[in-house]
Amino acid sequence: LPPDMRPIPCKPLFFDLAYNFIEFPSLEEKIETSASGSKKAGAGITG
Amino acid sequence: MAASRESNLSSLYAELNRFGQAGESERALKTANKILQQFPDEKEAFHCKVVCLIQLSRFQDGLKAVNNTPKLSSDLDFEKAYCQYRLNQPLQALKTVNEASNVTLRIKELKAQILYRLEKYEECFDAYRDVIKNSDDDYEDERETNLSAVVANLCTENSVKDLPQLR
Repeated sequence: LPPDMRPIPCKPLFFDLAYNFIEFPSLEEKIETSASGSKKAGAGITG
Repeated sequence: MAASRESNLSSLYAELNRFGQAGESERALKTANKILQQFPDEKEAFHCKVVCLIQLSRFQDGLKAVNNTPKLSSDLDFEKAYCQYRLNQPLQALKTVNEASNVTLRIKELKAQILYRLEKYEECFDAYRDVIKNSDDDYEDERETNLSAVVANLCTENSVKDLPQLR
């Protein structure tokens, strides 16, 4: 005969929120500076 | 010569950025590796590589990359600890976040999750209190759910902590 059913606490829901902060660093500067560097700009927008 | 090398690097980064934004981790990883082959000191490319490995669930490879390349990994405490957390090495992960050079909010968030995994619910409760007070993003509901899970565990442990009213 199987034993009587007994209630047990359920495992609470728990989210992995840290995963959402796994992201690329900003690459803006790497794309822009090396592009302007190749043009020998150096002086910036205002010249 | 130097100029074309530079513009090549720039276009590789543009490609990496594109794949990254499109969520194409496999292709982004290839581009990051291409950059690192030609420019082995590129910190950002290395960072992207580790992020791709994590997104591909290759946590062992991610951790190995960080451990084998300390020169490029000084700012990757969060990524390292996350790999350890997912590899079920919570004690090592806790050590990594505790020794992190820059304690950001995401480090605190991960620490709270690690403490939960370690069943250190009282510490975890305080950690979540702190994160919830200081965060402002789209995950407030999920974070409160996590806090509820901590509270539920504290209740089963008959903790003497002063527990909050939840929704």
